[in-house]
Amino acid sequence: MPALPVLKGTLDLLVLRALNWTPMHGFEIVSWLERAAHGALEVEDSALYQALYRLEERGLLDAEWGVTGNNRKARYYRITTAGRAHLRAETKSWVRYAETVTAILTAPRNSLAAGDAA
Amino acid sequence: MIREGVRRFFNLALRRRDQWEREVEDEIRFHLELRAEQLAAQGMSPEVATAEAVRRFGALSTSRARLLDAARHREHHMQRTEFLADLKQDISFALRTLGRQKAWTIVTIATLALGIGATTAVFSVVSSLLLHPLPYPHSDRMVFVYQEPGTGNQTGISVTITPAAPVVRAWMQSAHAFEALEGYRSGPVSLQAAGEPVKYQAAEVFPTFPAFAGLQPILGRMFSAQDIATHAHVLLLGEQLWRTRYAAQRNVLGTSVTLGDSTYTIIGVLPSRLRPPVIGDDSPDFWMPLDVNDNNVGMMLLGRLRPGVTTVAATRELDSLLARSSSARADSKSVAALPFRTRLAKPSDRVRFRDSLTMLSGAVLLVLLVACANVAHLLLARTAARHRELSLRAALGARRGRLFRQLLTESLLLTTAGAMLGVLLGWIGLRTLVAMRPSSLDELRVAHLDTTTLIVAAALTVLSGLFFGIMGAMQSADNSAQNTVRSGAATSPGRRSERARGALVITEMALSAMLIVGATMLMRSVSNLQHADPGFQPHGLYAVDLDLSASRYATPASRIAVVTQLTQELKQLGTLREITVAGDPPNSMSFSIGRFEVDGETPPPASTTSFVEVKSVQRNYFRTMGIRLLQGTVFTDTTAQAGQVIVNEGFARKHWGTQSPLGHRLRIAQSDSEPWLTIVGVAANVATFGPTMENTEPMLYSSLDDNAMKTPSIIVRSGSGTASLARVRTLARQIDPHLPVTIVNVEDRTASSIATPRFVMRLLSIFTTLALVLAAVGLYGVMAYAVAQRTHEIGIRIALGAPRRTVARTVMLRGAVLALVGAAIGLVAAHWGTLLIQHELYGVPQSDPVSFGAAVIVLLGAAAVACVVPTRRALAVDPIAAIRAE
Repeated sequence: MPALPVLKGTLDLLVLRALNWTPMHGFEIVSWLERAAHGALEVEDSALYQALYRLEERGLLDAEWGVTGNNRKARYYRITTAGRAHLRAETKSWVRYAETVTAILTAPRNSLAAGDAA
Repeated sequence: MIREGVRRFFNLALRRRDQWEREVEDEIRFHLELRAEQLAAQGMSPEVATAEAVRRFGALSTSRARLLDAARHREHHMQRTEFLADLKQDISFALRTLGRQKAWTIVTIATLALGIGATTAVFSVVSSLLLHPLPYPHSDRMVFVYQEPGTGNQTGISVTITPAAPVVRAWMQSAHAFEALEGYRSGPVSLQAAGEPVKYQAAEVFPTFPAFAGLQPILGRMFSAQDIATHAHVLLLGEQLWRTRYAAQRNVLGTSVTLGDSTYTIIGVLPSRLRPPVIGDDSPDFWMPLDVNDNNVGMMLLGRLRPGVTTVAATRELDSLLARSSSARADSKSVAALPFRTRLAKPSDRVRFRDSLTMLSGAVLLVLLVACANVAHLLLARTAARHRELSLRAALGARRGRLFRQLLTESLLLTTAGAMLGVLLGWIGLRTLVAMRPSSLDELRVAHLDTTTLIVAAALTVLSGLFFGIMGAMQSADNSAQNTVRSGAATSPGRRSERARGALVITEMALSAMLIVGATMLMRSVSNLQHADPGFQPHGLYAVDLDLSASRYATPASRIAVVTQLTQELKQLGTLREITVAGDPPNSMSFSIGRFEVDGETPPPASTTSFVEVKSVQRNYFRTMGIRLLQGTVFTDTTAQAGQVIVNEGFARKHWGTQSPLGHRLRIAQSDSEPWLTIVGVAANVATFGPTMENTEPMLYSSLDDNAMKTPSIIVRSGSGTASLARVRTLARQIDPHLPVTIVNVEDRTASSIATPRFVMRLLSIFTTLALVLAAVGLYGVMAYAVAQRTHEIGIRIALGAPRRTVARTVMLRGAVLALVGAAIGLVAAHWGTLLIQHELYGVPQSDPVSFGAAVIVLLGAAAVACVVPTRRALAVDPIAAIRAE
């Protein structure tokens, strides 16, 4: 199965999710995303940075220059309180949306017809 | 609210453009390196790994640009956010700080508001009356055109002559100096409606007047030259009347109205924005045609000069046009032949209040200066008191720009509050000023809050806020942070700022001294006016003015008959103590125009013409009016052949000095055959126009001329007030129901001439009080500050046994010195400044010792009051606590 493109708006959510445990730099986020999706999602790396800058602008993330394990300078991103709240709220609505759509798409044909009759 | 950590980061994020651009590049490079390393570790060759890393990143040419764009967006947004967050923080911090020092804040805001309010109110009047008196286009080129006596005006007042129609015609035909000349006449009319006739105001104008004023009828049409030529009885309604009386109905056009005994057809409605050229007058109710070809009318004349034409040039042209037209006519009776001189006046010159207004503007500027000085040193004193706080914050790492901005926010907040309150006060002040105007200054009605003034006042405050804020900030920056913190002194304000504050208080005192001198002089002047001897007894004196110009009184006999009959009936009332008849009302003047010759003096050149006031009176005029006869007798022979006259004291002085003028002869000659008049008595000078008018000018009393008497005045002295006067009107109506009768209270009329100076005096007193209170507050601030600062020193002194009396004296003395130095400077300035109000003064010398003395006493008194609280605070210093506190 070929990798899927990320739906508009969900990348922000995935980035916030990535940063929910610990601050990371851009490449760490990309790697985490690739691992978590088992290669099923296709994200262009630059799109991720765009998402990071956008989230930073909205105050959902903040960023600071730091040093990596092997002593290289990197820009670390950290989720803010506002970011956490945003993540919680958006996750909830995404799940509800996905469940609803899934339910409709996968429901047997006659159960839908019965719904119509009732 | 943005989290603290975020803001800390944001502070770092305030970077230059090249910095964040480099950071984006760094981040991209770092990412590509890590990706290439990852791929290489999976077994790719380094070249392939690098290419694959770039591929996965997205084509560098476009993706880099996109990222830079996103980063730029982010930076701008953060800067904005930070600015707003800082502003919010600054404002809430400033509000908290100001709230902690409520008294100081209130005093500062009140000071600003009073200064701005007073300035706004007065300059709104200046703007409405002097700068924009007539709301017409090109009003800067508008002039009133009138005439005045060419030579020999001996009446003591300025005489304005409205040009007669032939004169206006001559000018309109040939004058090049003007783009337009517009005539104007106005007067009351009575509208004949069902029931009582109703009085309205009517104006007569040329057909071109609305266009001249830049307006058009809002309904119907203006009358045309054709209408005037055919003497059509047409008129236009004023918008106000149209709306109130005709319910704004469009079908009024073509209907007719009866004014007096004539009926007119309504052909249009003119907007109420069309103002009459009389400052302070309402827009008239009826607009009627003014016929310039009617030789019997005179009119007010308003002209618009051509661009670049000076009033001098225009005057010269009009004069020469008149000279030519009069020499062209042999007819010496022609109005143009009279020795009149053309005068042009800017509309603002016609404002009676003009000089006083200029003086009051000066006074209110002084008040504003005092207010500014006060605010300056209030802010300075505060910065000094907060010196330690500011130094401490600087030492703890607050950037200087940040502190600076914060002080600025505080100052601006203060001044904005002051300005808003000031505008409100200005509006209230203006309304009050207009409401308390005397009837003699009715033009004040048009004064309205002026937007230019508002903008200037607002700009002034914002600038002063910036200036004082910066001054405070600079001062705190001057003193290095470490010094203050280390010394531990409560404050170390520095000699310089202390001197600056002293200088400011001295300035305030000096300005106040000037105002006190001016106000005292005006007060004394008004009091002099009130107590001035008018030369007659106005109390209980009434004038019953009759208008006998109607055609049924064309003959002298008919006029004498009606006056005699009315006088007889009045006598029979028994309640009037004295009754006399004069040719004119007491509060009016009539002149004889001609060559004035005194027998025994060299006659003046034949061409000279004089205006001499002549009153035509009965023998008992002097007794009724209570005028003293200084020499000679009243008329012994009242016939015209006897030619007896009585002169006033001013006349006698002028021509005969201390010698008796009795028996001397004089004449006012239109021709050489004019008979000589003989002086039989000298009467005291009288001021029937009120004491503000010159009353020593030469005047004559002649025996009542039966031929004149078109507007005779029956003068009565009533013992019982107005009650018996109610009967007068009834009696007059019985004799002739249509006879216009006006009853004037001579005492009120005379007293009303003081109304204007009294009004000006009141305003100046208000401003002076304002300045004085502000100056006292300023002195109080300085003294309170000085005492607070020396608490330690005073404590030690008291501990060492200094008597409290000495301590009190030290404090009071410093206050007195500041006040006295200020007073001294102020009095010197006032000595020069009184030149400006000289023409407003009556019987007060320019260097009036009383007024100058009063200024010193009042200032010292204010200083004493201002020092009471600081002195008591100094006396209450507990030596032990004061010393321990350090």
